[in-house]
This record gives sequence, structure tokens and C-alpha cells, in this order.
Amino acid sequence: MMFGTDYVIMTVAKIEKQTPMNIQTARQAGLVACHFCDTLSKLPETQLAEVDDIKNPDYHCSCCGSSIHSRIPNSLNKTWALLIAAIILYVPANTLPIMTVVMWGDGQADTIMSGVFHLMDGGMWPLALLIFVASIFIPVLKLIILTGLLLSVSFKSRWKPRDRTILYRITEFVGRWSMVDIFVIGILVSLVQFGNTASVNPGIGSLSFAAVVILTMFAAHTFDPRLIWDVIDDNDAQ
Amino acid sequence: MACPDCDLLQTIPPLAEGESVSCLRCSATLFKHHKNSINRSLAFAITGLILYVIANMFPLLSLKAMGLMQDSTLLSTAISLYQADRPLLSVVLLLTTIVFPATTLIGTIYILLQVKTNNTDEFTAPLFRFLRSTDAWGMLEIFMLAMLVSIVKLGDLADVIFGVSLYAFVLLILALSLLSASLNPHDVWNRLRDNDGCQN
Repeated sequence: MMFGTDYVIMTVAKIEKQTPMNIQTARQAGLVACHFCDTLSKLPETQLAEVDDIKNPDYHCSCCGSSIHSRIPNSLNKTWALLIAAIILYVPANTLPIMTVVMWGDGQADTIMSGVFHLMDGGMWPLALLIFVASIFIPVLKLIILTGLLLSVSFKSRWKPRDRTILYRITEFVGRWSMVDIFVIGILVSLVQFGNTASVNPGIGSLSFAAVVILTMFAAHTFDPRLIWDVIDDNDAQ
Repeated sequence: MACPDCDLLQTIPPLAEGESVSCLRCSATLFKHHKNSINRSLAFAITGLILYVIANMFPLLSLKAMGLMQDSTLLSTAISLYQADRPLLSVVLLLTTIVFPATTLIGTIYILLQVKTNNTDEFTAPLFRFLRSTDAWGMLEIFMLAMLVSIVKLGDLADVIFGVSLYAFVLLILALSLLSASLNPHDVWNRLRDNDGCQN
């Protein structure tokens, strides 16, 4: 989005303000939107009840053929499972060494945090900050935000749904950048291969950390932000 | 159209080129109207594929220390993790930096050519769905950042030499971001919709 060409910078057109009378969700209108091509499918009420039940046969989008759901089936349970797995793996990811640097026969094992401290000692502040943000700040923030979102949906919170949706979008967008530390380890391992004089070995912590990043990416993907709004829509409908 | 993030039904007004609309209540981007989306995306994808091949052919970075040289490419990075007894990490690198970028580029070119020549078949839609779902897993731009970090980290210890492919790699990142900025999935789906005669 940083290239100043005409098709990248978008001006925003306004949808005309709708009166409260015609504010309606697709589900209230008996419609199911396709996740991929946004085609709306009209389903009779009996089918609408079972479109999200995983035991039922799939319903398919009439346009692109992908299976359609009003909400992601079993979204909360799946997200909880992935999130809890990520939280558990987060402990070894931070306590076990992510890489061992061997210099003149001496090995020095680094965890994520000690790696950041080493960079600070070496005077590389911008780099230390970058690694801290990508490897510690973003993963922790992601775990906290996803837990918060899941709890808020479970407890049917009506608190600032718009802000929570935006938080969700940020979480989904920035999560993949945590992979940077894994790639750095890969590059160092492939470049520094001078036997006992100097070499870098990936530690077991790096595997846990990669698993945390991948699991939280899946968790963000299976969370359905429309659940945040259902509480409000269902209440208003009554 | 229903908002993908909050399910609110909204009517999309006719848009001028370069305009986009956001959801009234949750501000998600609903629709963008791109100028000449299919042709431009095709151009960026073909450019990207050529650069991708060059970026994979020669070393990206080399390290010179104690009279020895060590080269590194995308593939050798994945392989060296495998040799260091981390096969799973190796697979992660292989998928995110080699396989998914390649499928994105080749698949996008294939689909856009099909759409341009009105030759879509029953595999076009599933293939495009696959590309849309694996979009977030191609992580070359993150690998770029990782290379910068590594260059600075190794700077004190040894000489880091920029390989031939590094320049192609930087341009590849540029082509990929222009591709994702110019490709409007709705344009492709609309063409598929016309061909199959299905209703909205």
C-alpha cells in the first residue's frame, strides 16, 4: 500500500446512511454470504438452521461452488483449542534456546529474550526493538487479544463491537510478521557454517516458537468476527 | 452485499475507478474498484515469475570469513535447517518462501489468462479459492526483513556480500505487493459468474 500509483490509493465512497428500519444482517434476511466471492444465497428457514451444523451435508455457493456457512461452524471451540495449544507451546518457545552460536568451539545458547539483550549490549537498538516487537510483543498481544475476544463472545459482551472487530483485523494482519525470527535463524544457520570455528545451530525453542506463530494464525483464521455482532443483532431484533 | 466481518447487508453504490467502500458499522473494506485490474495483475504476475526464477537461481547472500565463502539461497536455507535436524522448520521455510509464492504466481497467471481468453473450466474456481486461502502463507516480504536483520547481525563478525539474486529478490517483493494491490478478486469471480450463468 505504499506505492503512490493511482490504483493503490483509494478514495472512499460513502454508502448512504441507512435508516434503522432497513439495518438488517444477511442472517436475519435468510441469506448466506459466500466467504470467497460474496455471492448471497437465499436459504429457507429450515435449512438456515442447519447450514452451520458440521454433521449436515455441505451447502455450496451457487456461483463458485465453495461450501457456505452463515457463521464458521464450531468457530469458538476450534479457536479455543488452537489458542490453548499456542499458549502451552509459548512456554518452551521462550524458555528453551532458539539457537546456539558456536564460536571457537564454545557454544552459547540463546533464548528469544537473551537474543534481544545481546543485541542491546552490542548497541544495536533498532534491531533489538524490531526483534522484541516481532517475537515478543506481537505474539503476546495476539494471545491476549484472541483470549479477550473469545471471552467477550462467550459472555455475550456488548462492549464496543466496532473496536473489537478492528482489534481482530489487526491481529489477523500482523500475526505472520512474527515469523521473522524463524527466518533469521534459517539464514544464519545456512550462512554461518565454518565447522568448529563458527557455526549456528537451531535450538528446540525455535520449533515451539514457529508452532506458536502458525497456531495463532490458524486461530485468528477460525475466529468468526460476526459472532461479536450477533449478540447485538439478536438483542435488537427482540 | 453482506459485510464479511459483521454480516450487515448493504447496497454497494456504483463506484468510480480507484474508489472503495467500507462497511457502515465496522469499517471493513467491502469493495474496491480497480483500474484495469486483470491486465495489470497479469503484468505484475508475469514480471514476478521471471524475477522469482532469477531470485532462486543465484545466491542471495554470501558470507566471507577466514578465507572461506558460504553462499545462501532460498532453497539452501531450507535445506540447511533439514541438515541441522529440524525437518519441520525446514518444511515451514520450504512452504512459506518457495512453494506458496510459486503457486501464487503460476496460479494467478494461469487463472488470469483463462479469464482473459474466456476459457474458464470447472477447475478455475477451486484453484482460485486455493490461491485466496494460501495468500497469507507466502512470506517472502518477511524473509526480506529477516535478511536485513541477518546482514546487520553478521556485519561485525564477517563480510556479508550481496548476491546477484538479492536485487531480483527486492524487485520480486515489489512485484508481489503491486500484484496484491492491483488484483481485485471480485473481478475474477464476476467473470466466472458470467460464464456459468449463476445468479447473485
